[in-house]
Amino acid sequence: MKYRWVYALFALFVVASMVIAGCQPAPVATEAPAAQPTAEVVVPPAEPTTVPAVETPAGRNNYVEMKVEAPDCEYGGEFKSIETVDEFTVKFTLCYPDADFPSKVAFSVFSIADKEYLDANSGDSVKMSEAPNGTGPYKLKEWVRGDRVIYEANPNYWGTAAAIPNLVFRWSEQSAQRLLELQSGQVDGIDNPAPEDFATIEGDANLALYPRPALNIFYIGFNHNVAPFDDVKVRQAIAYAIDRQRIVDQYYPEGSQVAKVFVPPALKPGYSDAVDWYPYDPEMAKTLLKEAGQENLEITLSLRNVVRGYLPTPDKVAQEIQAQLAEVGITVNINVMESTAFIDATAAGTEGFYLLGWGADYPGATNFYDYHFAADTNLQFGDLYPDLVEEIRAAGKISDPAARQVHYDKVNQLLKDYVVMIPVAHGASATAFKASIGGAHASPLSNEVMGVLTSDSDQFVWMQSGEPATLWCIDETDGETLRACEQIFEALLSFKVGSTEVEPGLAESYVANDDATEWTFTLRQGVQFHDGALLDASDVVASYAAVWDAASPNHVGRTGNFEYFTAFFNKFLNATE
Amino acid sequence: MTSNVAILDVSNIKYTSPGREALRRLFHHRSAILGMIILGFLLILAIFAKQIAPYDPIQLLRDVDRREPPCIHLLGCAADQPQHLFGIDGNSRDLLSRVIYGSRLSLQVGLSTVSFAILIGGVIGAIAGFVGGWLDDVLMRIMDVLMAFPSLLLAIAIVSFLGTGLINALLAIGIVSIPRFARLVRSTVISVKELEYVVAARSIGANQGRILFGHIIPNSLTPLIVQATLGIATAILDAAALSFLGLGAEPPRPEWGLMLGEERNSIFNAPHLVFFPGVAIMLTVLGFNLLGDGLRDALDPRLRGTAAG
Repeated sequence: MKYRWVYALFALFVVASMVIAGCQPAPVATEAPAAQPTAEVVVPPAEPTTVPAVETPAGRNNYVEMKVEAPDCEYGGEFKSIETVDEFTVKFTLCYPDADFPSKVAFSVFSIADKEYLDANSGDSVKMSEAPNGTGPYKLKEWVRGDRVIYEANPNYWGTAAAIPNLVFRWSEQSAQRLLELQSGQVDGIDNPAPEDFATIEGDANLALYPRPALNIFYIGFNHNVAPFDDVKVRQAIAYAIDRQRIVDQYYPEGSQVAKVFVPPALKPGYSDAVDWYPYDPEMAKTLLKEAGQENLEITLSLRNVVRGYLPTPDKVAQEIQAQLAEVGITVNINVMESTAFIDATAAGTEGFYLLGWGADYPGATNFYDYHFAADTNLQFGDLYPDLVEEIRAAGKISDPAARQVHYDKVNQLLKDYVVMIPVAHGASATAFKASIGGAHASPLSNEVMGVLTSDSDQFVWMQSGEPATLWCIDETDGETLRACEQIFEALLSFKVGSTEVEPGLAESYVANDDATEWTFTLRQGVQFHDGALLDASDVVASYAAVWDAASPNHVGRTGNFEYFTAFFNKFLNATE
Repeated sequence: MTSNVAILDVSNIKYTSPGREALRRLFHHRSAILGMIILGFLLILAIFAKQIAPYDPIQLLRDVDRREPPCIHLLGCAADQPQHLFGIDGNSRDLLSRVIYGSRLSLQVGLSTVSFAILIGGVIGAIAGFVGGWLDDVLMRIMDVLMAFPSLLLAIAIVSFLGTGLINALLAIGIVSIPRFARLVRSTVISVKELEYVVAARSIGANQGRILFGHIIPNSLTPLIVQATLGIATAILDAAALSFLGLGAEPPRPEWGLMLGEERNSIFNAPHLVFFPGVAIMLTVLGFNLLGDGLRDALDPRLRGTAAG
């Protein structure tokens, strides 16, 4: 022990550092227990700092005239100009007719934020999530990251104010856990209970199940740029080898349908009665594989193990497909990927064979066809098929339903001939609530509105599959995030609760010119943002300009991709390419 | 006269070899017998899986619903229904067949990872213990670093690096078990190499390799056998854990951990799907642990001559 003093010093140092560490505020350790999931605990009074009390008085007016305009329509986008006509009137001029325009502006991604607030946060979704400032029935009280989002009712709401003063969003990936929390009374409503639990919920007098109509598609995608899927015979063989009826019977809840085209039957124009998909015929599949010279085919099936309404049990369905294809001599390796990585990889065109689906954002065929088969940036099926693109674009630009249907019939026939993908199912899903909750519903667009619920308790706890990414949804695509935003923000129009019907939102009314290229919206007067600012036409222009104009200082978002904007309205203005 | 008596006495003592003695005590060790029965049963299942299992473990059954509970004719299941002793799994396959085939996989996993770990760990430990000096220091510090990580966590890290898959999972489990065997072999080698017979071998001019492989290693094997038996149990558990997390065996392979992981959400509405694979893992690990304990008692020289267990 020659160096006893060295050891002593070291020990002293360790003790000292522990003492210092102990004196530091430990936010996670101390706050987490306070936020234990107990239904009856009324949420602790949050500091008013979450919604910054701006010094300006309530009901302040900050209208300015605004106009954002593209020099011409050569840039390839849908918008020609967006302008304020007067304080409560805003006009959109489009480059080409768009029959689904009202449905698009009703979609919650295109919600309206206050112009001053948007400028102050330079459109940064993450920053705006700290203190989201919307017009909705609920405002944010606190977001305990990784645990829960706590809302409180907005007393100045323009419509019928929320009946339940406190709203809490929680999440769990595990459907069994969601159900357990509902059964034990910790939460009042859950999203996507597992299909095999439907009977349990229906049999429980304290719970109620609300089926969600199937407005979605689950498909098996091919990328025809990736071998061996470049051979149409291989794609056809796989189409013949898949027993879609069995998949729907075994893995989908009641109310689901076998898909024969890419859109659900409710979407007309879009759905084609006349087109029938390839029947299940394993012998035919074997013959085709022989013709293609691919008798000992080994392929990889990629998927993400994330439950969505269109695919309630991804891993099981993948194994089913694996076994079905094994019967015709195809060896399938299953490749489970992380959700975001998977979406990025399919969109980049690197996955040849994969399971994916699509849930409607608005009830229009353009929402399905345009995004998948006619968007330049989407390489998930390989290079676009020019004749398919032509038909889809043609259908999107006319408003006569019968004429559109003619194009969509061709689209569906082409999709079948090329075997671009295999449509498998339109999956029904559900929400479940305590039986005592009034106004409970399941929306076909998955945008459940918590503001219409009633309860004996002064708090409503909702449990969904995932945590929202942000609370300002302009740059989001995930339904879990959108639902959290929808409680705070509102769009020009909205969807009727539990339905796909468009109804007035922040705009009281709208008119379009005859060829559907000019849309004028009249805003509701006296609508207040949570910070007290009044809604006016410049807020609408500023909100749209932030995403449309790539040169705008507010064109930030979260990733800056704004997938929905490009899917709905094509190109950005001033895009740097 | 007295010395003659003494000589007679000694010659009368029946000589039993240490191995035979250990075996005798093993067969008198109650829990070891239980362990051997379990493992023997498992071994028979694994070897004759094809003959015993009523169905192909990866074949989808067309005439049943997925997640159906067990249908046993003796217990009142309608006779016109096909019999499925363990029920149907989440992909409408026969669970009994999958559990039976799973025994094959689990035994392979246990044996292969432990053999790998013993081979590498044993060589490292023997060299470190026999050569000593700076080589010993370097090798053992590397082992210490490996040991500093929780074994499952390290295995997950290795699998994430190598990519998922059964082979990579086995490799990862093998790697994390190396230090345990290396340290064990090193310590026995160090204690054995100072014993008289080694000194004797050295004094008659035997070379280093001969001393190490001919005298030291054979005499350091006993603790290794015990440790290996217990190690197999840990390896099976680790492999099941990795598969449970989706990092090990790929579907549709009938691996117990994977079967558990896939159906963990149906624990309330189809408990048989997690019960049977869970019991299978439990019994296998129990079997190896019991046998390991019995072996340790049987091979312990201090207990020689006493009735164990």
